[in-house]
Amino acid sequence: MVRYVTSGATSVTERSLVGVGIVLFVLWNTAPLAWLVTSSLMHQQALTTTPPDFSPASFTLSNYTEVFNSAAQLGRGLLNSIIIAVGTTALSIVLGAPAAYALARLPLPGRDHLLLMVLAAQMFPAVVVVIPLFIAASKLGLIDTRISLILVYLTFNLPVVIWVLRGFFLGVPKGLERAAEVDGASTWQTFRLIVLPISLPALFAASVFAFIEAWNEFFFALIMTRQESQTVPLVISAFAGQYQTLFGQMMAAAAISIAPVVFLAILLRKTILSGFADGMLKG
Amino acid sequence: MAIQGMSVRSTAILFVAPALAALMLVLAYPIVYSIWLSFTNASLSAGELQTPFAGLDNYMALAGNRTARGALANTIYFTVVEVVSVVVLGLAMAMLLNHPMARSPILRVLLILPWAIAPVANAVLWKWILHSNYGIANAILLSTGAIERNVTWLGSPLLALNTMLLVDIWKSTPFITILLLAALQGIPSALYRAATIDGATAWQKFRHVTLPQLKTALAIAIVLQTIWSLRVFDLIFVLTKGGPFDSTIVLNFLAYRETFNFLKFGFGAAIANLIFLVSLVLAIIYLRLLRLRAVEAR
Amino acid sequence: MSAISLQGIVKRFGETEVCRDISLDIAKGEFMTLLGSSGCGKTTTLNMIAGLEHPTSGDILMDGARVNDLAPIARGIAMVFQNYALYPHMTVADNIGFSLRLKGMPRDEIARKVQPVAAALELSHVLGRFPAQLSGGQQQRVAIGRAIVREPKVFLFDEPFSNLDAALRLRMRGEVKELHGRLGVTSVFVTHDQEEAMSISDRIAVMRQGVIEQVGTPEEIYARPATTYVATFIGSPQVDVLAVERGSEGVRLGQVDIPLGEAARAALRRHDGAVDLAIRPEHVRLGDTGIASTVRLSQPIGYATIVTVDAPGGGMISVRVPGLVKLVPGEAVHMHLDPEQIMLFDRASGRRLATDPLVPEG
Repeated sequence: MVRYVTSGATSVTERSLVGVGIVLFVLWNTAPLAWLVTSSLMHQQALTTTPPDFSPASFTLSNYTEVFNSAAQLGRGLLNSIIIAVGTTALSIVLGAPAAYALARLPLPGRDHLLLMVLAAQMFPAVVVVIPLFIAASKLGLIDTRISLILVYLTFNLPVVIWVLRGFFLGVPKGLERAAEVDGASTWQTFRLIVLPISLPALFAASVFAFIEAWNEFFFALIMTRQESQTVPLVISAFAGQYQTLFGQMMAAAAISIAPVVFLAILLRKTILSGFADGMLKG
Repeated sequence: MAIQGMSVRSTAILFVAPALAALMLVLAYPIVYSIWLSFTNASLSAGELQTPFAGLDNYMALAGNRTARGALANTIYFTVVEVVSVVVLGLAMAMLLNHPMARSPILRVLLILPWAIAPVANAVLWKWILHSNYGIANAILLSTGAIERNVTWLGSPLLALNTMLLVDIWKSTPFITILLLAALQGIPSALYRAATIDGATAWQKFRHVTLPQLKTALAIAIVLQTIWSLRVFDLIFVLTKGGPFDSTIVLNFLAYRETFNFLKFGFGAAIANLIFLVSLVLAIIYLRLLRLRAVEAR
Repeated sequence: MSAISLQGIVKRFGETEVCRDISLDIAKGEFMTLLGSSGCGKTTTLNMIAGLEHPTSGDILMDGARVNDLAPIARGIAMVFQNYALYPHMTVADNIGFSLRLKGMPRDEIARKVQPVAAALELSHVLGRFPAQLSGGQQQRVAIGRAIVREPKVFLFDEPFSNLDAALRLRMRGEVKELHGRLGVTSVFVTHDQEEAMSISDRIAVMRQGVIEQVGTPEEIYARPATTYVATFIGSPQVDVLAVERGSEGVRLGQVDIPLGEAARAALRRHDGAVDLAIRPEHVRLGDTGIASTVRLSQPIGYATIVTVDAPGGGMISVRVPGLVKLVPGEAVHMHLDPEQIMLFDRASGRRLATDPLVPEG
């Protein structure tokens, strides 16, 4: 049991308990990922001896080069994922930010109903909408296109983006908007020249979230794509099924797939923590 | 009021219209369509969707079907165990990270890593960790003497489900931790100082300050995690595809399998709608809780 | 013609009536303060003058023309906000010039207009800085500069000093008053601080629960409050209101006869109904003779000491004694109420009994 203390004075027992807690915490959160990275750098032979052979000779970068040969799809998958994730993120912000602002501040008829709808939209299990979307996409010839995935991801990200941004806009001092109105700004000018520029941290947090969600999504990609527009998670999943004995390469592929989001998460750790968690707790 | 008010109002409508249109198109319409589908015996024939009306047949099948009943039981077990574990573990981690000794930014980064990585990458990683012959899990347990021979983690029914749970708990805990950490940081430190002056022990502070202050945030965490637990898919798809003997099949995965493997669109839709209904109720509870929190904050 | 005229303004937010039937005329060049505690409707009234809120009924006239439907920008007003409301992502120069930029004024012209304003407010050396890099006083001056640069017909101030520390508040008060003297622009100032209102205004409108209790010069409001509410709201320490009985030659406080001045006696004769008595602390004297009483509390404030003593028949009376005096709780004293300065109020309505025949009752 970890004890909570606000004063600087902590007992030895408490310090050691917290110390043990930190060690366990670090192990729990990093050990699996550390093993991912380590084994992606090891020869197949070293990995299939029991216990694994950790001698210097076991280490190599060849898994990373070979995985592109074994999985011809990986390069295209990466390209698809980047286009789809960036497209989704941009559209989510462009459509989501004005909507969030209107829901936070403007006299919108039926605002409470809209809010409930936005919120409920966050809660939809994908499986509910996937069948009709699949049927519609088939009819429109949109199966296996990037645009269909962008549209779907957009709608699954929009509610979250709107929710998080709305929470932030609610906290913008009203005086700023009144001052802008007195200065002669239209609603649109107030939004673009005052509200948006001071909301950059929240916009970053929402963008990172949208990007990560789109980058990681698997279910819709599985159903809506075939070959041309397969995303990285699909390639990884297929690879793990097809070459499931090539452990090092499997981990190299996984490492490549998580690198961008891990990078983003580290870069924008603060905004994720403040902007995002607070948003989920705010009505 | 008239002129000024009108123009602001129409601007407001213009601001929400594009987002709303997108939501309507890709969410509202499919949901309505899916509800209708669940009352039909939809199937694909010659590439055309046939939708003969079937009344409540699909929902009756849901109650009568053995696989479906098993999936329901698995779903309940999986959800309950995961929610309890994630919230308890998340609270412990949040309190740890809120301790003055553990407020380092590095720990925060480590915390969000499992959350950030793709569920599929996570599943592939654990497939390797849990590999029955060469997996590092078995290697470590063997060398410490905890087990005598290799365990087939995903090979036997109950063990497979529990292994799956462990993996998903690992992935889900960070977000709940972040949520609870945010809530913890919102507790005025004066309360703890007052409790210390009043002679409260650490446990009493936890019991009489932390818990009551976190009540709503914990409820929110429980509701959100329940919704997310109901959605688990990627992990099952990569690790077991529902096996062995349907022991790791949950409703969400069953809906997928019935629809896309067996092409029973109507039945799949009925299962999906059941999940939807539960999620919707949870969403409404979530909204109530948010309102409650907003009131408390005042 | 009034610069601003409010005619029967009513404002409701849903069920709550924030302003009920507010009528007020503000003369050109006048410095008018809306004074009241929070929730009295003063800020809503100001926002309606600004055009940020719109009255549920009633009319707002500026220079005789109805402006109800005009946007803020079309009313020729400028506003200084509580917490300044400076745009945090813009430099001082951009903050001051924002309204000009919105008008589509070319860059160099904006700079030409901003410069003299900044110079007058001693902001020239910080034009390139951001609000967060300024001191509280400088931020306040940027907010004022933003108002001045537009050469408005009316200045509106929404509790602009409420977040400043005491010393800065005094200084800014002086600067605003001096500015008004120099520019002579009609100004409407909202505050809950009676001392601030007294010191800065040409006239004060005291508001309470959505209505104006009294409009008058600071002197009128202090010396001749229309109601017990105004009497107690203005002045520090507060005036004490005590229930009194009618006596043979005036009123009785408990068992003690309180002599009244000629005017008050006449007013009392004209009035029937129960009355209350109020007297300001500076109009009570402590001495060796007079009403016997006991000291409850003594608070030295430097130039005077506020002594709280028992009133006959219950209640307390505050006395302002010049200089620092040593009085301990329980000490016996005698006090004398200045008969000419005693104010009488109708107990039922709270309205003052008119003592001056020239001032009509009510």
